[in-house]
Amino acid sequence: MSGPSSGELLAKPAPGGLGRLLDHRVLLSIAVLAILPWLLPSKALAVNVLIYGVVVMGYNLLFGYTGLLSFGQAAFFGAGAYFTGIAIGRYGVPWFAAVAIAVLLSTCLAAVIGIVSTRTRGIYFSMVTLALAQLVYYVALQASSFTGGENGLRGFTVDRISLFGLQVNFLDPVNKYYVLMAFAGLAMWFQSRILNSPFGAVIEAIRENEQRARACGYDVERSKLVVFMLSGAISSLGGCMLALHLSIVPLDILHYQTSGMIVMMVLLGGARSFFGPFVGAASFLILEDVISLWTPHWQIFVGAIFVLFVLFLPKGIWGTLLDAIGVGKARP
Amino acid sequence: MPKSGSTSKITRRTALAGLSAGAALLAMPRIGRAADETIRIGFPTPLTGPFAAEARDQVKCAELAVKLVNDKGGIGGRKVELLVRDDKLNAGEAATRTLELIEKDKVHAVVGALSSAVQLAVNEVTRARGVIYVSISQSDTINEAKDFSKYTFHEALNPHMTTAAVARQTLKKGMKVAHLVADYAYGHEMLRGFKRAQAAIGADNVGEILHPFGAADYSTFMPRLMSMRPDVLCISNFGRDQANAIKQAVDFGVKQQMKIVVPVILHNQRLAVGPDVFEGVVGGANYYWGLEGQSKSAAAFNAAFKAANGGAIPTDYGAYGYSGVGSLLAAMQTAGGTDTDKVVDALEKLQYDLTKGPQHYRKCDHQSVQSVLVLESKKKSAMAGDNDLFAVLANDTGSDDMLRSCSELGHAT
Repeated sequence: MSGPSSGELLAKPAPGGLGRLLDHRVLLSIAVLAILPWLLPSKALAVNVLIYGVVVMGYNLLFGYTGLLSFGQAAFFGAGAYFTGIAIGRYGVPWFAAVAIAVLLSTCLAAVIGIVSTRTRGIYFSMVTLALAQLVYYVALQASSFTGGENGLRGFTVDRISLFGLQVNFLDPVNKYYVLMAFAGLAMWFQSRILNSPFGAVIEAIRENEQRARACGYDVERSKLVVFMLSGAISSLGGCMLALHLSIVPLDILHYQTSGMIVMMVLLGGARSFFGPFVGAASFLILEDVISLWTPHWQIFVGAIFVLFVLFLPKGIWGTLLDAIGVGKARP
Repeated sequence: MPKSGSTSKITRRTALAGLSAGAALLAMPRIGRAADETIRIGFPTPLTGPFAAEARDQVKCAELAVKLVNDKGGIGGRKVELLVRDDKLNAGEAATRTLELIEKDKVHAVVGALSSAVQLAVNEVTRARGVIYVSISQSDTINEAKDFSKYTFHEALNPHMTTAAVARQTLKKGMKVAHLVADYAYGHEMLRGFKRAQAAIGADNVGEILHPFGAADYSTFMPRLMSMRPDVLCISNFGRDQANAIKQAVDFGVKQQMKIVVPVILHNQRLAVGPDVFEGVVGGANYYWGLEGQSKSAAAFNAAFKAANGGAIPTDYGAYGYSGVGSLLAAMQTAGGTDTDKVVDALEKLQYDLTKGPQHYRKCDHQSVQSVLVLESKKKSAMAGDNDLFAVLANDTGSDDMLRSCSELGHAT
């Protein structure tokens, strides 16, 4: 990665005060997330918004910024969760180290899947990622002595953690939220740096015109592989957070429906926008949470809303909002 | 409509008054909650998905159990409230909903779930937080020491006891048995139970085929099963899968060659496809309304359910909802409140008879020791009415011998 100065050179100066404010997008995003638990109906829902926000943000790097439509992001989400759970439950690794190990291993998995899938383009890329993610699903299903198979992974509850010598009750929803928010903040900072770096410009160039990026001398294949791995790494961090949050890993996390949900969330929130993934995750989860309380047919409503968005607001909630206040063009 | 006039009249003082009133309104539920003494029971269940019919019955019966207690003045003067949540038959969703129930709604106990994986997820969340959980869905795993905690109770039958009772009625030494099994935890546990019972009886296994969960088409499996030439075909699946599999087996003429046996014969699925398809199918059950001739508690339960639901009769999985919530409330009654340790203690000592005869929770694994019914689906001409679905072949009285021993499950004895 490059130094900050070259990154700032690439970022276009935004007009007006609002645009200037968006220069601090990581801090702004964290500020919004910090008050989230008090805006939502429950803390458990707020933690889910964090988790899915991070997963979708990682996916946005691949889909929104590079233009690669993958249908297999659940593999990394699930891998992060399973590796964390297995490291803590089976090998007694401290929780923080378990998260680091899980992200590392998931990135290796992303490298393997990426090497195979980034050689293909368009619909073939989507299909290959879907197929390989299904492979991961069936491995988890069959290796039940490690993963718990159909019953899911259990037995790794983290109830107390020590932070800088301080004992924290991790079962307390507020403590849990802010510890996990620190992870989300880290992921956002990391992604912001990627996007502001020359590499961030390269992946957007690939999205806009792959031939031209190649003609300019950029190694398109290697860039795609690297962005695939980075995207997998960030999404897997979301998986680690889920494992710590729920203290179980359901097998469904690896199911292709989870991949589909990630695609839905990014479209709902707004692909190509920095905070869009969190908006998408929040809107999807709140809709599901609130509507399913008063009708068992909640899927009809969520589906209808989704169709309306695709038809009339292709930039998603956040993208449309940024356009409306006139800063969308300046900082996508 | 006045345009600018009305908005400009909002002074700072009225704005402040409005804001503080709004804040007070928001703070109200918290204050209200601290003062009220309602006992809250969380009830996660899959209201959407392939088990929705069974889940709705569970909710109706659980609500009935709550209503009966409330009608008698509640528990120590406190009203009981049931908080039903849709777990969407998804373990992650169920864990989230259970967290919400505990953290936000401050429930005193949780009852529910209708899948092996989902109940284990709920159990993982409740036991870490010291909240009592009464599971009302079949599972062998939840009895085992690894998933057990002092807060974990299992009101449903388990695959081991169900398959043993069904096998005793249907299998004989030297018989050939084939299996069609749903490829997930429920199916696997039922298959394991059947094979263990088969080995004890001396019946031979001639083959087993796994089918994906939620499959609609079973036509490719039937010729393969028929070519195994078994005497008995065990179909171990649940919900809509059971109706679909049996229907297609009958279309293929399976019944002319062999007897169809299921671990759990479902009231709702039999109603869904009709008597001709199910005719002669044998399966286990925790409850059948027709027990009312033999059991006073069944008659009382049926009558109460009919009164509350416009003359409808309770189903098998519904009865779990009733006895799961009912046993918990009875223990709270004994404990005189919701103090968790006292309620656990009361549940361990509780002797209850809510739907079909005496039941109690075994000390080592908190499995409910109860009778197992074996039912046979009646011929259309033999049915006395629309609800006269099954003949009771056996009603095995509950005993510890039906269960795997505490030491086998890994509990200290």
